Amino acid sequence: MKMKIGFEVHEQLATKRKLCCDCPTDYREAPPNTNVCPICTAMPGAKPMPPNVRAVDAVIELALMLGCDVVVDKPIYIQRKHYDYPDLPAGYQHSSTPIGINGELVGVRIREVHLEEDPGAYDPVAGTVDFNRCGIPLVEIVTEPDMHSPEEARRFLRQLMLVLDYSGKVRPEPGTLRADTNISLEGGTRVEIKNINSTKGAYRAVKFEVMRQKALIERGAVIPYETRAYLESQMITVPMRMKVVDFHVILDPDIFPIVIDRARVETIRKRMVEAPHQREQRLAKQYQISQAVAGVIVSERELANLFEAVAKEVDPKLVATWFQTNLKKVLNYMKLRATEVKFTHKQLAGLLRMVKAKRITPEQGELVLRKLVKQPAEPEELIRKLGLERLEKADLRAAVVRTIEENPKAVMDYRAGRKEALNFLAGKVMKFTRGRADPREILKFLRAKLKEKKKRRVSRRTKRSK
Amino acid sequence: MGRGTLEKLKAILQGELSATENVQQALNRIKELDKKIKAFIELNPNALAEAEAIDRKLKRGERVGKLAGLTIGIKSNINVKGLRATCASRTLENYVSPYDAEVIRRVREAGGIIVGMNNMDEFACGSSGETSAFGPTENPAVLGRIPGGSSSGSAAAIAAGMCDLCLGTDTGGAIRNPASHCGVVGIRPTQGLVPAHGLIELAVSFDQIGPLAPDVYGAALMLETIAGHNPNECTSLDSPSANYSDKLGIGIENIRVGTSPKFSELADSAVMEVIDGAVEKLHDLGAEVVEVELPNLEKSLSAYYVIMSAEFFSATRKFDGRKYGRRIEEVCGDEVLRRIKCGDYISRKDQHDRYYKRALQVRTLMRREFGEALNKVDVIVGPTVPKLPHKLGTKLSPAEMYAYDYLTSPISLAGICAGVIKAGEASGIPVGLQVQGKVLGEGTVLRVMRALEAAK
Repeated sequence: MKMKIGFEVHEQLATKRKLCCDCPTDYREAPPNTNVCPICTAMPGAKPMPPNVRAVDAVIELALMLGCDVVVDKPIYIQRKHYDYPDLPAGYQHSSTPIGINGELVGVRIREVHLEEDPGAYDPVAGTVDFNRCGIPLVEIVTEPDMHSPEEARRFLRQLMLVLDYSGKVRPEPGTLRADTNISLEGGTRVEIKNINSTKGAYRAVKFEVMRQKALIERGAVIPYETRAYLESQMITVPMRMKVVDFHVILDPDIFPIVIDRARVETIRKRMVEAPHQREQRLAKQYQISQAVAGVIVSERELANLFEAVAKEVDPKLVATWFQTNLKKVLNYMKLRATEVKFTHKQLAGLLRMVKAKRITPEQGELVLRKLVKQPAEPEELIRKLGLERLEKADLRAAVVRTIEENPKAVMDYRAGRKEALNFLAGKVMKFTRGRADPREILKFLRAKLKEKKKRRVSRRTKRSK
Repeated sequence: MGRGTLEKLKAILQGELSATENVQQALNRIKELDKKIKAFIELNPNALAEAEAIDRKLKRGERVGKLAGLTIGIKSNINVKGLRATCASRTLENYVSPYDAEVIRRVREAGGIIVGMNNMDEFACGSSGETSAFGPTENPAVLGRIPGGSSSGSAAAIAAGMCDLCLGTDTGGAIRNPASHCGVVGIRPTQGLVPAHGLIELAVSFDQIGPLAPDVYGAALMLETIAGHNPNECTSLDSPSANYSDKLGIGIENIRVGTSPKFSELADSAVMEVIDGAVEKLHDLGAEVVEVELPNLEKSLSAYYVIMSAEFFSATRKFDGRKYGRRIEEVCGDEVLRRIKCGDYISRKDQHDRYYKRALQVRTLMRREFGEALNKVDVIVGPTVPKLPHKLGTKLSPAEMYAYDYLTSPISLAGICAGVIKAGEASGIPVGLQVQGKVLGEGTVLRVMRALEAAK
C-alpha cells in the first residue's frame, strides 16, 4: 500500500539565554519557576527583548546544513500562534516565518526551517506548570511528505538527529526531541500525530498508524482528518482531546521583523560544521575508503574528527578498518561515545603505526586499544606494561620446536591429516609466548617445522631401508 | 495649586515648598474631590515617605532629578511595583504589579512622587471614561459631561488640580481626546520614542505612553524624562535624548502650519469655530498657514478598529482565568467583550486577508499621506475630537462612540506625534487644538503649543 509520511521536528537550541529575555536556559537543574521573569511568563505589560541573535544564527546554520536556501534581505516575521493551554502564559506562541527553505536530506525534501519558542511544562496530574522551559528557543524543521514506509521515516529521522547532533546547536540531553508526523495512505486522509519524543517512538507510531489506517480502509471506513497523540507507554495513537482549529496567526506587533543579509549567511557558512552526510561523501573520496566504512566513521562527530586526525599520520585505509571494527567494537563494549574517550589522536596514531610496522600484531593492538580507552597512556608504555614486546624470531622458533616436542600426539594427528590439530598446536605456542607472537607467524613457523621434521623423518627412514 | 509647573518646581528646589507639603496638598485635594470626580482607583501609601526622602536630599544639597517632589498620577494600565494595575477591569482587580514599567523607573529616578493610579476606560477600551469597572469619571472642567477617554482619570486629575503631572496612554487618541475635553495639555509621542515595557496593551502597535499636564512646560518636562531608547525593547526607537523644556519659548515665526479642509468636513461647526480662531492666532504670532491634502483621512477609523481589535484579542489571551483572577470574557464589560469578539473574528485564518491585511494597507497609506503633507509644513493643526463631550449617562451606539476617534486615529496609524492644547471653549466646554508633527517632531509641536499658550 502506498503511503506518504512527513515530519515536523522541534529541538531546543543550545543557547545560554531564552529567545526574548535574559533568563538562563538550564531549566533541568533549576528548581521549578526560578528561571523566569515578567517577559517569559508574559506578565501584563511585559515586552519582549529583541530576539536572541545566537538563536537566529543557530537556525541559519542548521538550515545551511540541511541544504536550505536562507531567506536573505527580506523580512522574517515573528508571528503569534494562539492557543489556550496552561503551558502557554501569553496565550500565544512565537513562531517565525521560514528562515531556510527548499532543503534536502537523504532524499527527503525539507520544506522549511524556522524559529519557535518552547512553552512551559504542564503536569496535568498535579495541575502545576513550570515556566522554566518557557521561552527557550526551538528550531522547527518541516519536511515534505517524501517518506513512504516506517523504515524510511526512521532512517530519515536518524539522519536528521545526527545532523542536529553534529551541529552542536541543539541541546545534547536526550528527550528534547519533539516530532509531529503526517501520514496518509492511498485512498485515505491525512492524519497528524503529535507527542513523539524519539526516533524509536516515531517508527512505532508510524507503524501503528499505518496498520490502523489500513484496517479502516480495508473495511471501507472513511478516515477522518484528525490530530492524534502517540502514547509512548502503550505504543498506540489516540485522538487528541485538545483540538486547535485556528491559531489566529498575526504578525507580532511587539517585535520588528528579522532581516538577514548575505554577509551574515556567508560568515556562518564559513565557520559552520560539515554535515554528516556531506562528510561521509568527502571521507569516502578523500581517503579512498568505502561508503559503508565512511558511514560508520561519521556516525559520531568526534569519531570522524578523530579519524581525520589519525588518518593524517597513518595509512588511512588501515585507520578506516580499525575504526570500523576494532575501535567501534571496544567503544560499544565499554558503552562509550567518541566524545567520552580521553586518549589523544597521537596516541592512537602511534599504536596504529606499530601495527602497520608489524611491531605488534593486530590482536595485540586491540589489547592495547582497550587499555588505551580505559587509561590513556603512550602506546609504547602500554605495550611494555602488557608484556607485549614482540618475540625475536629465534625465540619463536624455539617455542615452536618445544611445542612440537611436547605434543607428539597432536603432531601425529596433524600428520595423519587432521588439520585442526594445527590450531591446537598454535594455541600452545601462543600460551607459551604469552600472546606475544603473531598468530599468522606462528602458523607459518609451525607448518614449516612440521614439514621439515616430516622430511627429515622420511629421509631417515630412507636411510634405514637402505 | 494654581501655579504653573515651572513655578512649582522652582519653589520646591528653593525650599519654599517642601515635597512633603506638595504631596500632602495633593492628597488633601484628592480626598476632597475624588468621591465626585473618580479620577483615582488607588493611592500610593508610600507617597509621603518618598517625598520625605526627596526633602532630605534637598536639605543635604544632593542632586535631585527633573521632577523632584512633583506629584504624579499613573494610568492604571502601567505597572507600578506594589500598586494594582487593574486596567479598571474586574479581570485584574487584584493584580499587584511585581515590577516597574520602564517609564516608572525613569519617573522615580527623576524624583517624581507617584501619588496613585488613575481611573480609565476598562482596558483602555472607550473614548468617554464611562467603561471603567470602578465607575465613570467626571469632567472637572464641565461637570456632568464625560471627561473623554480612555485616559479619563489622568486628564480629570490634572483638570481638578489633584496632582502635578500624569502619565496616560494613547492608542487611538486616549491621551488627546480627554486632554481636549478637560482643557489640559497632552502629548502622544512618536511611535517608539517612549519605552512601552510595562504598559498593559490595548493594541501594541499603537500604544504610546505620554504626559498629561496643566501646561506645556509640564508636558515637555515629563516627556523628556520618559523619552529615549530602551535597548531591551524591540520597538524602542534608537533616538538621541532630547531636551524640550529649554526651547519652548523660541516662538513660531516662519513656522509653516498646515490645515486641511477635511477637518471641517468631519468636525462639528461649534468645534471648528474655536479651532479656526486658534489657527488665526497662530497666524498672528508669525506662523505661515498653508493648506495641505489629506485625501484619505476618514479611512483611518475603520482600519484602526480592525487592527486594534485583532491585537487586543491577542493581548487578552493571557487573561485566561488561570493566573489573574477570572477569565476576561466572564467578567469584562460590553465594550471590552465586543472588541475581543471582533478581534477573534478578524484574526481568523479565513478572514485575515479580508480585514486585517487591508487595514494594514490603510496604515501604510496614512503613513505616506501624512509623510507627504508634513514634507510641506512643520506641523498640521486641527480639531482633536469632532464633537463636544456628551452628558454622562447618555446612551451612544458603538459607532457613535467610535466616531470620537475620527481625527486622532489617523495619527496613530501614521506613527507620528501630536499634542493637544486648549484652543478655547464652545458654550463653556473646552475644545483642544491638535498639533500634529513629524516623526520625532515633538520639539516643534511643543513650541507651537507653547506659543498659543503664552498668547492667552
